[in-house]
Amino acid sequence: MVDREVAQRLFAKEFNDSKFNIHPKPDEVSFDGGHAPNFIVSPLGSKINRLFATGVVTEIDNIGTEHDLWRARVVDPSGAFIVYAGQYQPEAAIFLSTLEIPAYVSVVGKARIYEPEDGSVFVSIRPEDINVIDSDIRDRWIVDTAELTLDRVDAFSIALASGLTGTELFEHLVQNNIPKGLAEGISLALDYYHTNEGYLQNLKNAVLNCVKSIGSESDNENVVPDEDLILKLMKEMDTGKGIDYAELIIIAKSRGMAENVIVAAVRKLLAKGMCYEPKIGILKVVS
Amino acid sequence: MKNKLAPHIEELTKALENISINVDESQIRVELEKLLDFRVPLDEAKRTIIRKFKSASMPVMKIKDITAGLKGFEVTGRIIDVTEKTVNLRGKETVIFSGTLADEDGACTFTAWNDYSLKSGDVIKIKNAYSRNWHNRSEVNFGERSGVEKLPDDVLPSMDELTKTPIKKLRDVVNTDLTISSVAIILEFSHRNVNIKGEEVTIIEGVLADETAKLPFTSWIPLDGLDIGNTIRIEKASVRMFRGVPSLNFNDNTTITAVDTSTEEMPFTFESSNKAPEPIPISEIMENDGMFDVVALGNIISIRPGSGIITRCPECNRVIQKSTCRVHATVEGVKDMRIKAILDDGTGAVSVMLNQELSEIIYGRSMVEAEDIIQKAMSQEAVFGDMRKVLTGKYLAVRGNTSSTEFGIMLVASSAWVPNNDIGIRVNALKERMGNDQTGDIDNG
Repeated sequence: MVDREVAQRLFAKEFNDSKFNIHPKPDEVSFDGGHAPNFIVSPLGSKINRLFATGVVTEIDNIGTEHDLWRARVVDPSGAFIVYAGQYQPEAAIFLSTLEIPAYVSVVGKARIYEPEDGSVFVSIRPEDINVIDSDIRDRWIVDTAELTLDRVDAFSIALASGLTGTELFEHLVQNNIPKGLAEGISLALDYYHTNEGYLQNLKNAVLNCVKSIGSESDNENVVPDEDLILKLMKEMDTGKGIDYAELIIIAKSRGMAENVIVAAVRKLLAKGMCYEPKIGILKVVS
Repeated sequence: MKNKLAPHIEELTKALENISINVDESQIRVELEKLLDFRVPLDEAKRTIIRKFKSASMPVMKIKDITAGLKGFEVTGRIIDVTEKTVNLRGKETVIFSGTLADEDGACTFTAWNDYSLKSGDVIKIKNAYSRNWHNRSEVNFGERSGVEKLPDDVLPSMDELTKTPIKKLRDVVNTDLTISSVAIILEFSHRNVNIKGEEVTIIEGVLADETAKLPFTSWIPLDGLDIGNTIRIEKASVRMFRGVPSLNFNDNTTITAVDTSTEEMPFTFESSNKAPEPIPISEIMENDGMFDVVALGNIISIRPGSGIITRCPECNRVIQKSTCRVHATVEGVKDMRIKAILDDGTGAVSVMLNQELSEIIYGRSMVEAEDIIQKAMSQEAVFGDMRKVLTGKYLAVRGNTSSTEFGIMLVASSAWVPNNDIGIRVNALKERMGNDQTGDIDNG
């Protein structure tokens, strides 16, 4: 019996910082007879074979030449997961080809790594299941992921404080009740990335921002929809010649809105016929 | 030739020593030369030799660590009891010896396929034993290719010591316990008639609990005057395993006495032990072969094929295709609905099985509506597809028993619900956790 690979929870930032791929040798067979899986080790020591992520799809492109290959950006509060669905993921490909953006989705998939010759590294998700969700599930995912990420940060702090490396570190962590998989991941990550206190702090700030992104919505009982805010802003900005789209984004951003939210709101207003685009890049409110 | 091989032989001996296997160099030489005679490439030959000696070396096992399906291990134990049986083995009358083997921290059943003139009380070391699943627990087997050696009596604790029935909390009951004693409260209690070898017998089934866990029990003796809510002292109940979950059996050797809770204080009450358990991380569920009454909470990350509307054989309940049961041939199938889902909380993953009633609640459609979907779409897969769309990614909490199957740990749900949204509290806890860290940093600086 081979245990199913757990779907790891991590924010896009930690995932996109991952560069360390471990593939087992072909004849290396694990203890219970199953083949050891491929996995990517994150700088915090998460061993990622499969992951579960949620976010807003902001872009979908078909970048395939001979066959369809759909690329989607799934944005969480810390960054974006890149999802590729090609001919071997027909269901996910169909899903993405018909999805209206922006939309909240959940993705379960395998972590992929692409290393072109020049030394750069790109990670992405090859989806197994992708589905539309509501913002409630997205918020819970952020909370789950924040908790699990902080657990990893805490475990890594223990590792750094011990001053140990390799097998000694692994044993030290296991003695401190760190799960074996994570203890192994941390030993590997420390060796490869030399993750330090600075990175931990950096990631902790990212987690804090992610958590705060929920607070701002749920604390405020009577939230004004983003469209209404944008519409109000557009009316303020319009001096008769219409509004410059780029300028609108800059001003809205300065008022604490994320770019994807602004774009989404404008799209909704256009769809509802509340504003129109007389010239590319210029918006006008329908009065 | 000989000299050329020397460094390789030395390398092999070292490699084997590193994994604590000591093999004589001349033995390795014989093996290596044989393979090279067959023109096996040198690297391949070395690999073969390491593999061969690795599998020939026998790990020494304690009884508590033996799981079903192990081959070629060494185990030492004291024979607690042994009986001779004649069995029909492929048309041949064969005498086998079976009984109980125990060491310091566990006991298991054994079967000897040869006559080693074993006596109750003997301490034996068995080499090249194997284990298999027998009555849901692992059993040590040895025969033809095994070696049995009698050891001096003082290697293991005495017979009395090993057969003493331990007093245990329910959580600590494991599959290497033969009998245990405990104090517990009855949560469920019902009579059932079963047919044992043509005879109608009334047994009692139910659930026991203490402050640590709940366990199912079966009583083959009448429990007059006892009912739900009574606390009982159990002496020498035998432990059976069912799908990795221990259950207590009360038989003629078991003594059950009611405990007067008005004079004797218990660390649990009916209310405290009858609560729904708190959700536990799925990683913890995966560490156990089977668990009784647990709650898991996570995301449905996949709806598995086999979910949706299915047809069952009316005789045996097996899932059938095209009105053909593999045991009962052509039958009039019975429609049923179920959901097989993978529940994952980021620490582990279990498969969850939801019956028709729970599927209807979680999926949000009745079976009639689901059959309608199939009619309209003219596809058996339509409900499966719709379930995936409705459920994938959603949060789900389930309560039930888990067992180990060839596809991993499975939880058969007795109830399922959408967990309460508690992110408000958790967000505050997280902010506090990070806030504290930050002030901590300033203090350190």
